[in-house]
Amino acid sequence: MKLADFQSLFQESVLTGSGEADKPLLKKLRASPRGATPETLLGVYQSGYRLRLADFVSQDHPGLRAVLGGEAFEALIDDYIDQRPSRDPNARFFTSGLPDFMRDCPTWRDDARAVSMALFERAMVDAFDAADETPLAVQALAEYPPNDWPLLAFDFDPSLTLLELAAGTIASYDAAISEEPPEKIDAPAASDDVEYVAVWRVDHESAYRQLEPDEYVALCEARAGHAFGDICQMTAFQQSGEIAPERLAQCLSSWFQDGMIIGVRVGGDDQSSNTPSSA
Amino acid sequence: MEKPAPLGYGLGLRPVYYDEILSSRPPIDWFEIISENYMLAGGKPLAMLDRIRADYPIVMHGVSLSLASTDPLNFDYLRQLKALAERVEPAWISDHVAWTGVHGVTLHDLLPIPYTRESLAHIVERIQRVQDFLKRRLVVENASTYVSFVDSEMSEHEFVREMAERADCLLLLDVNNVFVSSFNHGFDPVAFIDGVPAERVVQFHMAGHTDNETHRVDTHDQPVCDEVWALYEHARRRCGDVSAMIERDDNYPPFSELLDELQHMRDIDARLSNERARSAA
Repeated sequence: MKLADFQSLFQESVLTGSGEADKPLLKKLRASPRGATPETLLGVYQSGYRLRLADFVSQDHPGLRAVLGGEAFEALIDDYIDQRPSRDPNARFFTSGLPDFMRDCPTWRDDARAVSMALFERAMVDAFDAADETPLAVQALAEYPPNDWPLLAFDFDPSLTLLELAAGTIASYDAAISEEPPEKIDAPAASDDVEYVAVWRVDHESAYRQLEPDEYVALCEARAGHAFGDICQMTAFQQSGEIAPERLAQCLSSWFQDGMIIGVRVGGDDQSSNTPSSA
Repeated sequence: MEKPAPLGYGLGLRPVYYDEILSSRPPIDWFEIISENYMLAGGKPLAMLDRIRADYPIVMHGVSLSLASTDPLNFDYLRQLKALAERVEPAWISDHVAWTGVHGVTLHDLLPIPYTRESLAHIVERIQRVQDFLKRRLVVENASTYVSFVDSEMSEHEFVREMAERADCLLLLDVNNVFVSSFNHGFDPVAFIDGVPAERVVQFHMAGHTDNETHRVDTHDQPVCDEVWALYEHARRRCGDVSAMIERDDNYPPFSELLDELQHMRDIDARLSNERARSAA
């Protein structure tokens, strides 16, 4: 048998687990001098494969396990391993596809609370090893004269992800990762209510913060490159009932304080201008 | 044979020990990293590695090069590996006599091959291409295996010897893997060690494994057992001054226990050195 054919056969056996498909491969195995059956020895690879991948998912998704319960979580992992074999040499990225898998899969796509938790936990993992940047202090704004402020736009840390989640996701996550988690976590109630969350990295650790709806809109717009003045004019932000410039300034201050902002420039979407107008 | 200088006694760098290493700067000569754990855009793993690299030599050890796979070489992976090597400046880069998947799938395991002339020609050609790309000699490790194949045309050590000589690569002799595979397949582990080209061996791995009575599994979750320490003595006698280290990947003990295992390794080597000195006198 050619090496390529052998490897196809062996891989198929690992992917599908023990069964009829193993027979051609079992004929190729030498007998164990210790009395182990060929099925047992092949099983080291078959069970090791599933245990390893399941462990990757479990490590990244404690909240998802908590809201689904152990049995359903294991069923999800089995489905995911069966239907989405790993294709990245780096095991770190095996779990990245889980939320998309859940949204595509008829069994899981209607469970908004579970999909929501999976999205949040993926963002936490992605933030952990996103590219390094240096956050700016709010004092960076002092370089710009007040006349420039409506034109200021901001660059955000690459670890930042903004999420619209099922209401209650963060409370469920907090309970799941607490030092003494309850046996069963209350899943977010099934409803159309949502909550808004920012996930990013601070001092080498993933961080998250719930956002008010107006701050979520402002942060989405700011990250899209829109200038401070333009965001103030946006209908969604105006509808928050606050005095837009003051509320936005408050948000901006907290983004600096949280270490989310890595660059300031004049000119909104036009990134060619990046110096104060007085310079 | 031109080889990198021996580094002494090392440990596998694992995140669970970052704080202890950075706070106590333990008396360890070098660390080995799992390359894939640092092939990332940024964040804590790379930051910790940079800090530890400032004080210790580093060796890069990969698990996903898939040298024996019949899939095309993954040059995206190789470019990332090379970029990490440029950052870390490792003493050397290693991976395994194994494959991890075909048809674009990766099983995240070190899978066995039949030791045939076809497999040999295939892995030799791939090691040569990897060495050309990385512009350095690769260090290749014998893996633990649980099955062996009726199609094999030579023993594992004959395969490893010819692979190393034809590809002109260096070798990482995993003493625990020799023991585990010898138990599972019924070959003589001493003959294996005597059969590999000692002049190409630059590193020893030592680790623990799980005894399932009819077979043993390379789990890296136990202390090194007595039989593997005995085999280490033989490997040391045969290969001489080679960098040696302990791997631990699960069931993590207090850091001091790993330092004790390294001390045990040093004590064995000191005794062997004294024996050599006495017999030379």
